[in-house]
Amino acid sequence: MAACTVYSTQSLSTNCSISTPSKTQYGFHQRQVVFYTTSRRNSRRGSSSSSSRYVITCAAGDSQTVVIGLAADSGCGKSTFMRRLTSVFGGAAEPPKGGNPDSNTLISDTTTVICLDDYHSLDRTGRKEKGVTALDPRANNFDLMYDQVKALKEGISVQKPIYNHVTGLLDPPELIKPPKILVIEGLHPMFDSRVRELLDFSIYLDISNEVKFAWKIQRDMAERGHSLESIKASIEARKPDFEAYIDPQKQYADAVIEVLPTQLIPDDNEGKILRVRLIQKEGVKYFSPVYLFDDGSTISWIPCGRKLTCSYPGIKFFYGPETYYGNEVSVVEMDGQFDRLDELIYVESHLSNLSTKFYGEVTQQMLKHADFPGSNNGTGLFQTIIGLKIRDLYEQLIATKAETPVGAAKA
Amino acid sequence: ARPVLATPEKISEKVEESIKSAEEACSGGGDSAECAAAWDEVEELSAAASHARDKQKESDPLENYCKDNPETEECRTYDN
Repeated sequence: MAACTVYSTQSLSTNCSISTPSKTQYGFHQRQVVFYTTSRRNSRRGSSSSSSRYVITCAAGDSQTVVIGLAADSGCGKSTFMRRLTSVFGGAAEPPKGGNPDSNTLISDTTTVICLDDYHSLDRTGRKEKGVTALDPRANNFDLMYDQVKALKEGISVQKPIYNHVTGLLDPPELIKPPKILVIEGLHPMFDSRVRELLDFSIYLDISNEVKFAWKIQRDMAERGHSLESIKASIEARKPDFEAYIDPQKQYADAVIEVLPTQLIPDDNEGKILRVRLIQKEGVKYFSPVYLFDDGSTISWIPCGRKLTCSYPGIKFFYGPETYYGNEVSVVEMDGQFDRLDELIYVESHLSNLSTKFYGEVTQQMLKHADFPGSNNGTGLFQTIIGLKIRDLYEQLIATKAETPVGAAKA
Repeated sequence: ARPVLATPEKISEKVEESIKSAEEACSGGGDSAECAAAWDEVEELSAAASHARDKQKESDPLENYCKDNPETEECRTYDN
């Protein structure tokens, strides 16, 4: 049901509510503002001030924005995850049209992704002068972050600042309209308890030090000036702040994707073959964890054999219940990498609770983005599964809200 | 031989400069606050450079041409 509230800008008592008894208003989402004049045309000129002006704001009252938080360190594949996530909802995510070319925002039909670097309170020079890193809470404006995320969740557009990663300056703000799904990604989505309360689902990408080092070598070695030493020094220098402010956030995450070196090859440090663990919190509303074969058992599974040929070093799965920061969790783990499609569909058919809409949807989603990093290992697989889980959570949330009477939603 | 850099020159230069100044800032002692902030700047610029490189890599010469000239013979596509 849509609830529209009419406010008079003349501070008169013309406040009224209109509710439309229609059940199919989910798409009617963004708050709209309509200005119109009701007064009869005045014969005298210059008396336009006497005309009554009304602002009608219509939020689809009960179908508010669903907010997802994604935390990860810089250079850990947040953008790949975001592209996989938006693809599950359909349509490509693109930067806002006609705005700042260095905007960090991505917008698709259903999803808007904002980068939390935009809430830096200190720009690059400011941080240098004060001797703080971007990881430090003192370099971030959590009050503004909270206000704006809350406003968007309630269906109100905001003017969000833009942190320009090329110049290191805070650029003039851009208009962000409330989407169906808002994703906030960055270093601190779960740091501030007020912002944390606003999140409907939260994810932490946990990249182990060995893998982080290997990824940054791949990323930076071709860059002028970089050497093994400089990459190592950069990781080491940021480590104290990372451990103090970023890493503790994983205890609040509903899902953690942990990326570790493989155990299939002894002493592997290339970072090409990965052991990836999807840690899923139990008892989260609208989120039922994925499992392998039998819910709640502990299982180790090597799919290679008579039915499936794998090349070296093969694939190994693990599933089982565990405790993570005092919480009950279910862990699905994949070590190794896929060579061909038939392997993936074979694996998909043995996983349950995937929240797919048809058989083979995970495989199809992975195939769609075969060129993305991680498409042949557990990172791509688990990111895709989390994308489907978020779609499921979104649909359940919206369905529940639609059932709630308008009166109750307002109270 | 150095690999051909696809990074836009501007960011590439900045990365190089920031590494130099980080090495200087840390020469006094490895664990000062200035040192961490300087290496953080290196990380930020390296990430920006890598994103810029990815963006450039993605662009296909024919697709770029077709954006501007959709009516030409090599670009025309009909849904049916």
